[in-house]
Amino acid sequence: MTTPTPLLSMLESYLKLTTAREQAISANMANVDTPGYHTHDINFAGELQNAMRKISNVGNGSESVPLIPASREVHGLLERPDGNNVSLDREGLLMAETQLQYALGIQLIRRQFHQIISAINGGSQS
Amino acid sequence: MNLFDSLAVSGSALSAERQRSEIIAANMANAETTHTEAGGPFHRREVVFHSTVSSNFQLALHHEGVQGAPPHGSVHISEVVDDTTPPVMKYEPGHPDANKDGYVAYPAINPVMEMVDLMASVRAYQLNASAVTATKQMIQQTIEILKS
Repeated sequence: MTTPTPLLSMLESYLKLTTAREQAISANMANVDTPGYHTHDINFAGELQNAMRKISNVGNGSESVPLIPASREVHGLLERPDGNNVSLDREGLLMAETQLQYALGIQLIRRQFHQIISAINGGSQS
Repeated sequence: MNLFDSLAVSGSALSAERQRSEIIAANMANAETTHTEAGGPFHRREVVFHSTVSSNFQLALHHEGVQGAPPHGSVHISEVVDDTTPPVMKYEPGHPDANKDGYVAYPAINPVMEMVDLMASVRAYQLNASAVTATKQMIQQTIEILKS
């Protein structure tokens, strides 16, 4: 998808990453009672830096950047006797955090489009 | 990898937990059943949860639009197994199912244990229901972009 400004491409990758994380958390919550399941997550900060670097390399941000975040196991969590290490506190907190991050991304995108509208209308009230 | 996949994952967990509750309810209902069609007392049953874990390669395929497999992290019940605990023998000589020594085989079901299991199942259901609500809110917010 082509986007008019580099900032919009960046926000797009930000939302994609947040969505990927939301799915990882949903999967962890779904498997809270599955024996032998291990918590999965994505490296949010690392993937975001990657995406930002790619977008600034592309330059004007007119090309779309493919983004496939790798999911990996989380270490250092307490494992139950059935081999499952899903922590409800961790997942609950992360889900709240991810929702807020997503809302932030959406608001910033709306702001961008409002700016474009404002430019089209020559600064007058739309 | 989109929000609707998250909904599908949470939905799979909801249906798995509901099936688990049904099995537990059947166990509690049959706690005193001494006679079944298969012969002998009722056997306590348990569900086995199984998760669909895809490799990063499969995730990449899915990302490229190759459909088919359920999304990463979905839960399904792979089998329902019979508890092999031997039945509890009670001395009731007048009972129609009593053996020649006057003992009746009752299922080895502890209602307290089933109750605790049911509570855990209900809590897990609530957890996934709240995950569905969260995902729904995110989709709603995306639609908000379209509104000026």
